[in-house]
Amino acid sequence: MEVIQVEDLWKRFKIPHERRTTILENIAGALQILEGKRFTYEEFWALKAINFTVSYGESIGVIGENGSGKSTLLKVIANILRPDRGRIKASGKIAPILELGVGFHPDLTVKENVLVYGSIMGLKNSEVKKRIGSMLEFSGLERFKDAKLKNLSSGMQMRLGFSVAIETNPDIFLIDEALAVGDMEFQQKCVDKFKEFKGEKKTIVLVSHALNLVKEFCEKTVFLSRGEMISFGKTEDVVKQYLKHVAGHN
Amino acid sequence: MLEYGELVRNLTIKEFKLRYRNSVLGFIWSLLNPLAMMIILTLVFSTLLRAGIENFPVFLLPALLAWRFFSVSTSMSLASIIGNSPLVTKIYFPRWLLVLSSNLANLIGSSLELAALFPLLIFLGMKITYIALLLPVILVFEFILIIGVSLILASLNVYYRDVNQVWDIALQIGFFLCPIIYSISLIPERYVVAYSLNPMTRIIESIRRILYYNRPPTPADFAITLVSGILLLLVGYIIFRRLEPRFAEEI
Repeated sequence: MEVIQVEDLWKRFKIPHERRTTILENIAGALQILEGKRFTYEEFWALKAINFTVSYGESIGVIGENGSGKSTLLKVIANILRPDRGRIKASGKIAPILELGVGFHPDLTVKENVLVYGSIMGLKNSEVKKRIGSMLEFSGLERFKDAKLKNLSSGMQMRLGFSVAIETNPDIFLIDEALAVGDMEFQQKCVDKFKEFKGEKKTIVLVSHALNLVKEFCEKTVFLSRGEMISFGKTEDVVKQYLKHVAGHN
Repeated sequence: MLEYGELVRNLTIKEFKLRYRNSVLGFIWSLLNPLAMMIILTLVFSTLLRAGIENFPVFLLPALLAWRFFSVSTSMSLASIIGNSPLVTKIYFPRWLLVLSSNLANLIGSSLELAALFPLLIFLGMKITYIALLLPVILVFEFILIIGVSLILASLNVYYRDVNQVWDIALQIGFFLCPIIYSISLIPERYVVAYSLNPMTRIIESIRRILYYNRPPTPADFAITLVSGILLLLVGYIIFRRLEPRFAEEI
């Protein structure tokens, strides 16, 4: 059974040569066009013709150099960015754990953020209140439950995001380098959690530069380079190919 | 819609808290603004200019509050998408809920404002008749209009950051285009039809009829405010849906 289906996915970003973010700039720009100057922008295809499927209970790694489209891919699967061509089908509740945080507001306290995030993830307030204890315990942030989010360090914010996301009981985890800012102890806790999820047949898509982690957890791996999918297959083979690719560039 | 009930409630409470958290006087400030306006405008219009309107504070204040409901709601919700960029760029949920929650937070604020100033209005000599039962109807129509305008402004603001400056100017012009500080009877006969097409004019005039003249609004008042509210809501929704897919990358 396919949980995530990515079919001929293309995603483009437009990078204007002069960025116009105000109405005034746009009027000025339109006047320039009348004078014969062209409005120019660069098209940048962040993802080109990506195809792969993830089955129920599978863990997939996504590897590639910086700027290869890994994070964009996760955001498209999470429905935060929309594809320009192709289709994405994901069935089940998705918890994206992207770079820093999962969708918290810096001016709200830890407790308030948990409540808002919980309801975005479809949890009733009563359920969140029941689970908030274990969320805070896993993150080790009980002492800071009434602190504003912006007063937490980036590592603490990540711990909180991760702890809260896993307690909302999603079917699919999209994890983007989330562990990179955590300390050793927390990283180990998360690795143990991943093992638990794999046992519970959760689907995981893991973007990481930590190849060992990818090898340990992911049966299959996607290798991206400059927006193109170089390969998709058994993690061992794909990682080898990636290492060869990196060596070839040096 | 129902599945998002709790989310809307949480977002509304969040919005409300953020709005009043960082000021000691909080809610009091939002009362002081219309009170100060009322006092200064009464001084200017009934004392200096001698406009000859009987009981000017009661003539002015309800209209002023109706206008404030519109202007504060729309200018606050204008930033409801870009102000929530940490949410919009990290997780998916229908984005229009952010606009709705901002509007709802302001609805609570404005209702409290009205409730707090009502005793003052009665003290100043406002008469309450059974016609006042029509007031909530007009306010609901105004709220529909507000949501429509907010959807347009909030989504445009993601692409054009100076929408708030443009809207500030529009609101200043609007304040004088609507019969807030003057009576609609001052408008020359041949312009009245065009003048009354403005839904905010209809809303303010209806509220003034109810609370100052103790007369029900005309059927045309109801019809024009409702139809223009629904039209703007539709247009707002269409524009919002067109612009929504690229919010996360334009923010």
